[in-house]
Amino acid sequence: MRRPDPAAVRWMILAALLVLWEVVPLTGALPELFLPSLSKTLTVLYIDRHIYFAALLVTLYEVALSMLIACGLGILIGALVGGLAMLRELLLPVFSSLYAVPIVILYPVFTAWFGIGSSSKIAFAGIYGFFPVMLSTAAGIRTIDPQFLLAARSMGATLPQQITRVIIPASLPTVFAGLRLGGALTIIGVVVAEMLTASAGIGYLVTLNRTILDSPRVFAAILAILVLSIAYYMLARALESRMVVWQSAGRRQQQSSSRGEPVAVPTPAAA
Amino acid sequence: MQHLANVSQLRAQAGEAAIEVEGLSHTYAGANGSVPALVDISLSVRKGRFVVIVGPSGCGKTSLLMMLAGLRQQTDGAILCHGQPMPKPDPERVGVIFQEASLFPWLTTLDNIEFPLSLRGTSREERRRRSQAMLSLVGLEGFGERYPHELSGGMKQRVSIARGLVQDPPVLLMDEPFAALDEQTRMTMGHELLRIWSTTRKTVVFITHSLTEAVYLADEVLVMSARPGRIIDHIEVELPRPRTYEMMATDVFGRLRDRIWQQIRKTA
Repeated sequence: MRRPDPAAVRWMILAALLVLWEVVPLTGALPELFLPSLSKTLTVLYIDRHIYFAALLVTLYEVALSMLIACGLGILIGALVGGLAMLRELLLPVFSSLYAVPIVILYPVFTAWFGIGSSSKIAFAGIYGFFPVMLSTAAGIRTIDPQFLLAARSMGATLPQQITRVIIPASLPTVFAGLRLGGALTIIGVVVAEMLTASAGIGYLVTLNRTILDSPRVFAAILAILVLSIAYYMLARALESRMVVWQSAGRRQQQSSSRGEPVAVPTPAAA
Repeated sequence: MQHLANVSQLRAQAGEAAIEVEGLSHTYAGANGSVPALVDISLSVRKGRFVVIVGPSGCGKTSLLMMLAGLRQQTDGAILCHGQPMPKPDPERVGVIFQEASLFPWLTTLDNIEFPLSLRGTSREERRRRSQAMLSLVGLEGFGERYPHELSGGMKQRVSIARGLVQDPPVLLMDEPFAALDEQTRMTMGHELLRIWSTTRKTVVFITHSLTEAVYLADEVLVMSARPGRIIDHIEVELPRPRTYEMMATDVFGRLRDRIWQQIRKTA
C-alpha cells in the first residue's frame, strides 16, 4: 500500500477539526457557552473586526518589543556566559534553575513596577523569552567543535576573525533554535499578562468576554491568537532554514561521524 | 640520544633544513604535579622530504606537531622553521591538515579552500582562481559548490589537503589525516597524497600510528616511544619512488615495518 503524504494528512486533519468545530455545536451536543460554532465565531470576528484589529496591533507591538529584549539580551548575555569560563561557572547554574521557576508568579510585581499598560507586558514577556535564547546561545558557543578553532588559528585567523568567521556561524543553528522557542514564549508571556491584568490587547479581550459569558467573542480572540502564533512559527522556520542551509543534514551526519559510532540502520520488518 | 643529535647535525649540513628541533621537552601541569609529555626531542627535516613520525597512542606526537605549527608552546628547547622560530601560526610557512576533516560545514567546498585566503583579504578573483586550481589538483572538479556533508570521508580529506596547500606554504604538517577513513579509502588517499606531493614538492611531516602507512609514504621514519615521548629510532626508507602497492609485499617493506614495530614494542 502506498503511504499517504504526511503533509496532505495534516491538512486533512485540520480540515476535519474545522468541520467538527462547525458541526458539533449545531447538533446541540454541546451548549454554545462551551463551544460556539465556527461560523458564529467568524461572524462576531467580522462584526467586531475593528476592535479585534486594534487589540491585535497592541499585542503585536508588545510582542515585537519583548522579542527584541529577549533576543538582544539573550544573545548578548548568552554569548558572554558561553564564551567566558568564569561567568559560565558563576551564572549558568543560576540561570538554568531560574528557567524552571514559573516566572508568571512575578507578574503582579511587574504591574507594580511598570503599571498595567504595555510596559509591564513587554518587560514580563521579554524576561520570559530571554531564558531559552540565553541558554541556547551559551550552549551553542560552548559546544563548538574545538577542531574548528584550532584549524582557524592554524590558518592565521585573529581573535575577531575567529569570532565572526567561526564562532558565530558554528553556533547559529543552536542560537536559532533558542530564538524560535524564546519568540514563542514572548507571545505566550504577552497574552498571559494581558489576560491577568490589562486594558488592551487580544488577551484582554479573552478575559473581558469570558467574564460576560460571551463565548463566541472569547473564541474569536482565541482564534486570532492561534493564527498569530502559527504565523510566527512558520516565519521563524522559514527564516531559520534560509539562514542555516547546512544544518539539518550536516549537523546530524557530522555528530554521528565525529563520535565514530556506527550509524543505526533501521531494518525492515519481516514480511 | 647523543648519537641521534649528531646524526641530525650531519643531516642539517648535508641538505638545507626546513625544520630543526633542538632539545625540545614538554611537561603538562597535571593533578599530581607536572607530567612529562615529550623528552629531549631533536630532529631535522630537510627541504622537500617526506618525514613520517610514528608512535603509540598518547606518545605526544600530535603535541609535537602542534608545536611545529606554532599552535602550542613547548616548555623547553627550540624550533626553527626555515630558520625562524614559530611563536604563533604562520600559514605562509606552514599549512596544517588535521585528524578529522575540520572543514567548516557552513561553507561550500570552494569557500572552505579559500578560507585562509579570505582571512588576508585576497581579491575574490584571485581566491577563485587559486581554489579552483587546488580543487583540480586534488581531483575534485565539479564538487566546488557542494557542502561538506554532501562529500564522502575521503573527499573531505582531499578538500582539507587543498585548503592546506592553497597558500602554497613550503611546509605541510599532517596530523593522522586518514585515521578516520576506512582501510581501502586510506590506501587510495595515501597514494593520492604521494601524487600531489610529487607535483608540489613540499616538505611534509606526517603523523600516523599505522606502520604500513609510515613505510609506504616516507623518505624517513622517526619512531617515538610511549609517553613520555622521545625519538628512539630514525629509519631511512630506501624504497624507490613512485611507490606502488606491490612494494608492500616485498621483503624490504616487511623488514622496515618490523623494525618499527620492534622499536615501539620495546618501550610499550
